[in-house]
Amino acid sequence: MPLIINKVCDDGTTSSPITMEEGKALIESLIKVVACYRHLASCVGGCTDNLHLRCELQQTRERAHKLAVACRHHLTARLRDKTLPPEERQEMERLWVAFTSSLELLHVDMCKVLNMGSNFSLVNTSALVKTGIQGETREVAARALSLADLNRAEDPVPGSLEDLEQGQLKEEIVRVDQMLEDMEEKVNVPRWMVEARGPQYADPASMDSTSLGLYSMDEEASVQHEQRCERSQVFVILALCGVILVAAVLSVCVIYFS
Amino acid sequence: PKTPTLHLMERVIIAMQDPDIGLKMRNQRLLITVIPHAMTGNDIMEWLIQKYNITDEEAGHLGGLLVQYGYIYPLKEPRSLILRSDDSPYRFQTPYFWTSSRWPASELDYAIYLAKKNIRKQGELVDYEKQNYNLLHKRINHTWDFVVMQAREQIRASKQRRKADRIVLECQEQAYWLVNKPCPGAFDVFDLGPERCNVLNSRVILNSSLLFFLLRISSVPNNSLSSHFLLSLSCVCSFMKFCDQYHQHDPIMSGCLPSNPWISDDTTHWTINTDLVGTPTRLRVERWSFSFMELLNDCLGRREFMTYLEKEFSGENLCFWEACEDLRHGESSKIILKVEEVYKTFLSPGAARWVNIDSKTMERTLEGIKQPHRFVMDDAQMHIYFLMKKDSYPRYLKSDLYKNMLSKAIVPQETKKSVFPFMRRQRHSSPSPAMVSQATEDNGKAKGAGPAATNSGTLS
Repeated sequence: MPLIINKVCDDGTTSSPITMEEGKALIESLIKVVACYRHLASCVGGCTDNLHLRCELQQTRERAHKLAVACRHHLTARLRDKTLPPEERQEMERLWVAFTSSLELLHVDMCKVLNMGSNFSLVNTSALVKTGIQGETREVAARALSLADLNRAEDPVPGSLEDLEQGQLKEEIVRVDQMLEDMEEKVNVPRWMVEARGPQYADPASMDSTSLGLYSMDEEASVQHEQRCERSQVFVILALCGVILVAAVLSVCVIYFS
Repeated sequence: PKTPTLHLMERVIIAMQDPDIGLKMRNQRLLITVIPHAMTGNDIMEWLIQKYNITDEEAGHLGGLLVQYGYIYPLKEPRSLILRSDDSPYRFQTPYFWTSSRWPASELDYAIYLAKKNIRKQGELVDYEKQNYNLLHKRINHTWDFVVMQAREQIRASKQRRKADRIVLECQEQAYWLVNKPCPGAFDVFDLGPERCNVLNSRVILNSSLLFFLLRISSVPNNSLSSHFLLSLSCVCSFMKFCDQYHQHDPIMSGCLPSNPWISDDTTHWTINTDLVGTPTRLRVERWSFSFMELLNDCLGRREFMTYLEKEFSGENLCFWEACEDLRHGESSKIILKVEEVYKTFLSPGAARWVNIDSKTMERTLEGIKQPHRFVMDDAQMHIYFLMKKDSYPRYLKSDLYKNMLSKAIVPQETKKSVFPFMRRQRHSSPSPAMVSQATEDNGKAKGAGPAATNSGTLS
């Protein structure tokens, strides 16, 4: 049963009441989008940096902003509601901390992208760093936008898009800054007092079933190790065969000559 | 604003990316996957040597810095951040993970990284990483749920990439954290040591030779240089100029003529360089042309300059300057007296040796004289100093007086070392003054006793 919020929201708009579960889902989406944004940001300036990547970054940012605004409404409304029971308040505070941390990460990543974007212009692709990455990032962006696949209809012009994008990015950074400041002022949540609920060491088995054995650098080492073991086994077998062969030949000779 | 050395290193990295004259790329072969953009340590060294025309040692040093600061990371033995000049493979780090003083590695990021590592493979964390993880769990406990959720989401995001890219991304992140959070005991490039310097200014403590070298290889500066960089560039340039200029004059660098008194026991070097010697050495006279202060600090030089100024009827400038210096450095009890004298001699209207100061400075000085203190003449002194420096000093250097001095100046001959080494004078320290005085005492006593003895001798 949805809780009815009596107070009017801060910016004057009345939003439809959302449930606790929906609020939690919003935060989780925001965390997902922030993770995807970081992933995309780590490709800026590298050899796969292109207009598509910059577009994807922009779309991801917009989605993050929408989610952030929705989360903020939900959380501020709930936390300013004095009739909230204590367990729910604790839960809200945890979500609040998650929300602020996500925004902080997003802010840092946006600043970094702005800085790198100004240093690595797409007009001069010979200066992009050869990082060894080959593939595209459209699946990551699709994941961030919760779409099956991205729609790459238009092909924008390089120079104009970059300037436009840099300007927009600066504005968006300012917006996130303001949001963070507003939140600190309006809601008084002592962050350090919040206790985490989850375990210290996360359980790897709780990952998606779509993960088919995660690859790490050790795979190569273990495979090589296996290869080496196999090789040594083969040698031993060969040596044994050789010995048996020699023994057989000798016995044949003994029988033949005696 | 980046520190200048980071900026220079980034420029080197970008120069390496050039498709024509950049570094040669190879492929890294892992069982079935092929990852491009690898290079051997040898490639890097050779490219640096060839591009910047430097020696092996310098290239090793520069390449080592690039690895230590995380711009290039090794593919085999990632924990050993050194540049080997053999065929060990390296790869470039993505700009997102470049060292930056604006966005230093944060605890939250580190916690997320360790959580990711743990989620991927249980027990993957090394000892010091486990310790750090536990510490962080205590310190930022309030946001731990977020840490774990974000770690999971980042892993899910990277699963969308192909295998080769995933390997590269993991290597990049690992390299970044090996630079920013090295294992205890390993060389920490950001360690400022017990003397904590200003973090922004001296994140990098390089010896000056390497700094000169980095400047030498930096090409024409583009307009993205910060003022920080330009300032240090100008400082180092002036330092280099100073070294070049004084190289011949330094007795340690270029030896002293005729010979080093400490070695040969020949004190000629000191006697010909005394303050008011008749004929100065050539090196000394040359030094007067380096800067105005050099001339003024040398007694002989100052005397010569005074002679020249008196010929030009502007000797009062130097006298005024000397009087002001005397005021500044002299006894406190005599300050008021000196100020009065200076005023009477140089500043009052109709004074005997009136100096030409502009009206504003004169007003200020006259105001200040009403309450005299040590530094009341500073403005006026500065004005006269610059007047002499800009006007009289260059003319003096071109004058006949100076040129005569230069031609008269002696260049002592270097003492010839004797051919047979055992014919050289043995080095011995001069006798201690205490022993000398005792010897004269003994002599005195002996002499005193002597005549008495002889007297007594003759008497008997």
